[in-house]
Amino acid sequence: MTSWRERLLAPGREPVWGSSLAVLVAVAASFLVVAASGKDAALGFAYLVEGAFGGPGPLGETALKSGVLVLTGLSVATAFTVGLFNIGAEGQLIWGALAAAVVGHALDVPALLLVPASLFAAGGAGALWGLLAGALKVYRGVHEVISTILLNWIAIHLVHGWLVPGPLGASGSGTSVSIAGTEAIRPAAWLPRLLPGSRLDLGLPIALACATLAWFVLTRARIGFEWRAVGAGAGAAEACGIPIRRRICQAMALSGAFAGLAGALLVLGTEHRYPGVFRTGYGFDGIAVALIGGATSPGVVAAGVVFGAVRAGATRLQLAGIHPSFAELIQGIAVLLVAAPRLFAPLLVRLRTYARPPGAPP
Amino acid sequence: MSALELRGIVKRFGAVTAVDGVTLSVEPGEVLAIVGENGAGKSTLMGVACGLYRADAGMVRVLGRELPPGDPRAAIEAGLGVVFQQFMLVPRLRVWENVVLGREPRRLGVLDTARARREALAAAASSGLSLPLDAPVEELSVAAQQRVEIVKQIFRSARVLVLDEPTSVLAPSEIAQLLLTMRALADRGHAIVFISHKLREVLEVADRIAVLRRGKLVQVERKEGTTIERLAEAVMGSDAPAASPAIATTGRSATAVARLVARDLRCQRERGGEALRGLSFQVAAGEVLGIAGVDGNGQTELAEAIAGLRRATGTLELDGVDGLRSAGWAQDPGAARRAGVVHIPEDRRARALCLPLTVEENLSLGWHAQPPYARGRLIDRPGRRRKAEELIRELRIDPPEPLARAGDLSGGNQQKIVAARELYGGPRPRLVVAVQPTRGLDVGAAARVQGALRAAAAGGAAVLLISFDLDELRAVATRLVVLYGGRAAGEAPPTASDESLGRLMLGEAA
Amino acid sequence: MTAALSGVLEFAPPLVLAALGGVLSERAGVVNIGLEGMMRAGAFAAAVGAFFTGSPWLGLACGAAAGIAAAAVHAALSLRFRADQVVSGIAINLVMLGLTSFLLEATFGSSGVTPPVPALPRDSAGRTALAWIALALPLLLHFGFSRTATGLRIRAVGENPHAAATSGVRVLPLRAACVLGSGALAGLGGAALSVGILGQFDVRMPAGQGFMALAAMVFGRWTPLGAAGAAFFFAGADALQRQLSFSLHAADLRLSGVFLALPYALTLLVLAVGAGRIRAPAADGIAYDPEDPTTTPESRT
Repeated sequence: MTSWRERLLAPGREPVWGSSLAVLVAVAASFLVVAASGKDAALGFAYLVEGAFGGPGPLGETALKSGVLVLTGLSVATAFTVGLFNIGAEGQLIWGALAAAVVGHALDVPALLLVPASLFAAGGAGALWGLLAGALKVYRGVHEVISTILLNWIAIHLVHGWLVPGPLGASGSGTSVSIAGTEAIRPAAWLPRLLPGSRLDLGLPIALACATLAWFVLTRARIGFEWRAVGAGAGAAEACGIPIRRRICQAMALSGAFAGLAGALLVLGTEHRYPGVFRTGYGFDGIAVALIGGATSPGVVAAGVVFGAVRAGATRLQLAGIHPSFAELIQGIAVLLVAAPRLFAPLLVRLRTYARPPGAPP
Repeated sequence: MSALELRGIVKRFGAVTAVDGVTLSVEPGEVLAIVGENGAGKSTLMGVACGLYRADAGMVRVLGRELPPGDPRAAIEAGLGVVFQQFMLVPRLRVWENVVLGREPRRLGVLDTARARREALAAAASSGLSLPLDAPVEELSVAAQQRVEIVKQIFRSARVLVLDEPTSVLAPSEIAQLLLTMRALADRGHAIVFISHKLREVLEVADRIAVLRRGKLVQVERKEGTTIERLAEAVMGSDAPAASPAIATTGRSATAVARLVARDLRCQRERGGEALRGLSFQVAAGEVLGIAGVDGNGQTELAEAIAGLRRATGTLELDGVDGLRSAGWAQDPGAARRAGVVHIPEDRRARALCLPLTVEENLSLGWHAQPPYARGRLIDRPGRRRKAEELIRELRIDPPEPLARAGDLSGGNQQKIVAARELYGGPRPRLVVAVQPTRGLDVGAAARVQGALRAAAAGGAAVLLISFDLDELRAVATRLVVLYGGRAAGEAPPTASDESLGRLMLGEAA
Repeated sequence: MTAALSGVLEFAPPLVLAALGGVLSERAGVVNIGLEGMMRAGAFAAAVGAFFTGSPWLGLACGAAAGIAAAAVHAALSLRFRADQVVSGIAINLVMLGLTSFLLEATFGSSGVTPPVPALPRDSAGRTALAWIALALPLLLHFGFSRTATGLRIRAVGENPHAAATSGVRVLPLRAACVLGSGALAGLGGAALSVGILGQFDVRMPAGQGFMALAAMVFGRWTPLGAAGAAFFFAGADALQRQLSFSLHAADLRLSGVFLALPYALTLLVLAVGAGRIRAPAADGIAYDPEDPTTTPESRT
């Protein structure tokens, strides 16, 4: 009967410890940077925590941001499963958001139909953009890191520089560059709010449902196994009869769909339109979430919630005179630390030795 | 003063002790052979000597100079040159660039190309070898690449030359040539260390023979004082397995029905050029057909064509059904598998195993969509586990842990996973294509895999065994076809002499 | 037409420099996705350096130094700790994003741009010294790779590090040097943006040019001349886009987005059509483990 201490420290659990340590160290290091620049780090930390967890309002914000991050994290993690690096969650998110905004405005049906329809449109739009990168990789040999990054920029420019100010922009904005974005979506398309006194909505539950679905497919379904085989050894998978090209495209489509859904959450839940000024960056955050979460569904959920909290709390940092981009700093350092598992290996070996009951074999 | 002196060398890789306190010396002008089975520690010992690995204990001296551990540069400076089993050449660079790498002649800070080529040519001549200086190494034959390796060491003024299993990839006449070269170099005062598991060759060329077993030095004998039998005994020790059962020529009657018929097979190489140029042969149910030949004559492409991984033209009939027409069974790996064709590939790491996945998952690859591995669209986890345990028992995969990571197992056990899966994982195969199935395996694992292949044939499958190792072919095949230049050069029984097989392998008439 | 040509010489140097940085690193076998972050670091450091010293040249030097510092982290992670090189590069990008925004706020109290900083002097044709550097450096690197012993060793290390090691080449120090050099070039490229072109640092820099540099490197088949040529080509497309956009009053037509997307779409198209049989250096991206010969890409046997 292994003690719970032993089970936590067993080999295979190292990624959990590695990631947790990485996040803690990253937070500490970032606050050190803040302190070094002469600001009040302790106050900043207090504001951060308050902004993330101090009441229904902050909790709602954390939930909002977590939902989006879990989805973009899932997006990147799904691509990882087949061995691809999806840097394009950003672009896929943008198309998803736009699709949700358009459908949410155009269709005149009750909420029970409109919300799913908008979500579906968002997922579909994201899926197509992801599929494009996947197809370019398997049929034309274009490395997905480069293609997804280029596709991001194409999406950003086409949507922010043409579609939203132009054909899809809110009418009546005249000849000035629109800062109002697209037409507002119908109230029937709004994601229902769940907690009075906050903006907590159906977003996080949707994200968690997607995470559960992903987990189920990857661990229990035949196709999930094939995806994992493609990522673990494409040559062997192919030789064993798995249609690797088709599987990679499927996985990239799902990956894009998750990112598109993340965009839908933003539009249907918070903005209620595709705004003229749209914070881009959740897609890139998703990369950090997936890496720190070890590309597993439970890990992505945990990392997504942690970083959602950080982002929600970071908006309060300005009260302490700290720039909110601080959250990116934490993320970046955490990814750096997670990237080097060997950094923590000696520490973990020592911890494991400590946890072993006396007399047990090594 | 000895040319090379190793004293008390110990080297561990994790929990495995590869070399356990070996003390050995080689004199100038002599050829010392180091023999032992796969895994005995021969390559590791030389890796320590040349500075590729750091020893955990012990000392290396070259021409009286003690070497700092883990420093290949120092070993080279001291005059030690190693030709590894896995060639240490840079494929995309040219022959002369490979030869002078690390010791490039310069003029005014810039590479002196003319002098480099001149000196490379001189080094080649002094060992009696000829080389195409400007060809990219990746375009050369294996034997030619080996010559580049030797010249590389001569260029660096190596006085001690170590050759690690140099003959395992050569045709018999190329082997003879190499043995002559070794003798010539020794006569010029070099010290030669010849690592091999081929006792016959060793007795031909060596002055003294050292035997390694499980990392320990068992004995060192002069050639005159020993025989093949005595050497074999020393190599195997007390656990020499019972002699492999003599190959039952399965009394093939002339009317045996052919399971696989290949006619005029043509196939392209990866980088262009024809690999198969009209190959024709047959394999009957219950027989093991060995395809012999020097690497590069189309073996890889043949296996891939049959397994559905490469396009080919011609006719390839499995029980009368042509796989090469559109929608035929040889058009993709899934179709081939469904038709009853299983494949043990040449490169198990790249083509047969997903190393990060568990043993159980790897054992299910290829069959994972059917019972007992799956139920409908879902994985049948208990079923898959039971089957995995069964397969582990069948081939004695070690450690017998279904959830172990496949990448953590030894090479031999990894190959057992592949063999178990292909031969026993699904319905009885009709055709088995095995390429180099026992390469790099220790005696125990090799015996199991060969046994499994023979059992498959006995069970009614046609087995196509493709190998560059004549010993392996002789141990398992019932009939041999030699592949040369993408065509069948001739047929022979497994008892045929090295000489006649060698001539076929090099394209000369039988 | 001449306007377009000088536009190319004006805007190409950052991309050329970064692309050359990519080539240097990857030919030695280390994937460098962090070019974007290194450019950003260089752009910021150059602006800060020029601002506080009053000299754009010192600013350039600061930019290169910042690039080297960022590359040092990448080198440490990839070479010493054998981290996944793509992850390490992405981490650099993320950290630089946060760090520069933070420092911009802390130093200048701004969240968008720095105040104008001393910019590089221009000659009568409006060109800076960078134009000449962007033309000369590719040739220099080409010569280095093909004609020097070090260049030969770099190529060897990127194709088969174990072979190079047994020939006495010190693999890890050489790779580290190439990564640092790559950082210097990328940092210089970023500096070219802030101190050379715009005259200030903008938080949006380098706006994806680090990634376009990677595309140029792939398209240029990992050779200095090819990558530089591709970079010039992409810069030309960009200049063309600017011209078209201007002359077609794109902003009025609200079509500016289409034109802005054009260079990226063109790059993607070119890669999709031409990528095919291009081979990266064989050991690119594989962590070098001296004790594990299986990390060697297989040679013919």
